[in-house]
Amino acid sequence: MKNMMLIGGLLLSSATLPAFADAQCGKVTIADMNWSSASLIANVDRFILEYGYGCEAELIPGDTMPTSTSMVEKGEPDIAPEIWSNSIKELIDRGVSNHRLAIAGNSLSEGGEEGFWVPQYMVDKDPSLATIAGIIANAKTFVHPEDPELSAFYGCPAGWACQLSAENLYRALKLEDAGFDLIDPGSGAGLSGSIARAYERQKPWFGYYWAPTAILGKYKMVKVDFGSGIDADHFRDCTTKEECAEPKVTMYPSSLVQTVTTTAFAEKSPQIFEYLGNRSLTNTQLNGLLAWMEDNQADGIIAAEYFLMNHEDTWLKWVPADVAARVKTAIKAL
Amino acid sequence: MADFSWFSKFPKMDRATLLEIRKYLDSSFRDFSREYGDLIESFFDPLLRFLIWFEKLLVQSPWWAVLISITGLVYLASRSKKLSLGVIVSFLLIGYFGMWEDTMRTLSIITVCTLLAILLGVPIGILMARNNRTQSIVTPILDVMQTMPAFVYLIPVVMLLGIGKVPGVIAVIIYAIPPVIRLTNLGIRLVDKEVLEAATAYGANSMQRLMGVQLPLASPTIMAGINQTIMMALGMVVIASMIGVKGLGQPVLKSITNQYFTLGLFNGLAIVALAIIFDRTSQAYAKRSQQHMQGGQHD
Repeated sequence: MKNMMLIGGLLLSSATLPAFADAQCGKVTIADMNWSSASLIANVDRFILEYGYGCEAELIPGDTMPTSTSMVEKGEPDIAPEIWSNSIKELIDRGVSNHRLAIAGNSLSEGGEEGFWVPQYMVDKDPSLATIAGIIANAKTFVHPEDPELSAFYGCPAGWACQLSAENLYRALKLEDAGFDLIDPGSGAGLSGSIARAYERQKPWFGYYWAPTAILGKYKMVKVDFGSGIDADHFRDCTTKEECAEPKVTMYPSSLVQTVTTTAFAEKSPQIFEYLGNRSLTNTQLNGLLAWMEDNQADGIIAAEYFLMNHEDTWLKWVPADVAARVKTAIKAL
Repeated sequence: MADFSWFSKFPKMDRATLLEIRKYLDSSFRDFSREYGDLIESFFDPLLRFLIWFEKLLVQSPWWAVLISITGLVYLASRSKKLSLGVIVSFLLIGYFGMWEDTMRTLSIITVCTLLAILLGVPIGILMARNNRTQSIVTPILDVMQTMPAFVYLIPVVMLLGIGKVPGVIAVIIYAIPPVIRLTNLGIRLVDKEVLEAATAYGANSMQRLMGVQLPLASPTIMAGINQTIMMALGMVVIASMIGVKGLGQPVLKSITNQYFTLGLFNGLAIVALAIIFDRTSQAYAKRSQQHMQGGQHD
């Protein structure tokens, strides 16, 4: 019996180990963030590192704040493939200046898009709802689930960095005077669940969200125009800060979404660091991939395989020819 | 070689079929939620109105009035000066550290959850004890309720009812109700056959046996179940806050994502304080009301 198990184990391990192993790469840990786009990129990285560069790549569950803190303090994990660095600017800056973190490049070439959104079907009925003035004038439409006298504004979940910016903009836009209550959805799942529920029943919804995401790929939403343009300096110095006394109205500037590694890893594996610098997607590409994931209920692994199989022209530009050849062989073997 | 691939790899359903099943179940749930969502929501409307009223009562009344009434209730139930003093001290500390409003919100929702859990749980436990078939049906359901990760059933609950108090209450009750059901069942089943025979010999009908013999004799076990239910309900406060329930859970979530150790600890301790007050009061009340028996109760 024991022998049988041993044989089984050997077979299993020989089936999963990559044929080619590079001694210098060794073990690499990649943060697998708990949202779809980051998980997709993390799985693409894992595949390319494992089969293209011969690393022993491992995914570690993560989230922006805990992962980057752990990278600064403990040097683990090695790679965070999608960090929205505006949200934890101080931590990243400190990590870079203390030589703990290295920034490889932008994972989203155009940056992420944040804002306050309303569903398309509401704007179709009343075009004025695409502007904040129209929203305030029609505040009563956005019924609060728990208090008929109030209107509902879905903010950013507790503890997320966007909680500060969403709250400061809520103050700046004087939404409270207009009767809007700032609802804390508690988690990303709570926030996206509230959108999905509203959309399925064509009910009103108004709140914070961001792109590229599966939700905005699947449900058509309109970004509300504050009529203020973007005041990037004020946004950086006040809107994103807790102690912002008098927040002014500004649209969200596009936010930097970066691939971050530990300095130790960047020095140890310069070729991989270079690959991570090249590896970058546009929002259109990513929205398409996320919508595909949503339609097919795919997780990061399946989506990464789908991407590598069907979007060769995109990823071939990221890696040198020999690596590309090895990755192609591995894809054929899938 | 290819013929033996099942030997090293588990022969699994092919991806397309699996995907079809997942898509089919998801879309039928979505249709269900579109069709019946409003109806189900209106069914829970009275509960929602009560929750809002109760929370407003606790949050908007002056703090000293709330404190006096809570201490009064605790004293009436327990007749213990020590416990009442403990209540005053812990609530003063909670207020002093700026957690009064959150504590009141949590207190209001947990009180409702606990009462509902007891109101639903004890009768179910009694039914289970009286009928073996009911027991064999309910037990696996309880197993699922206790082990199923909360977020699995929170997804459909949020789709149906949105985020906020009612879904929060449902999540807490699903997780917290099993102990009271299980221990009510167990307590009644453990009542001595001889005692029941004696009661029957005196001409007691089945209702009289239940109310006069079985429930009183089972009450120490039932109280242990209620105690576990209260503790588990308070343990769910953080999960409930992940679907938008206001209260002590939200600062805890905030401290988890930002590593604010002290903030998390303070709010966690406030949850513990609430749990201990709930528990000691209910236990003291139960002990007092069954002083003539002095069963397996310890302090």
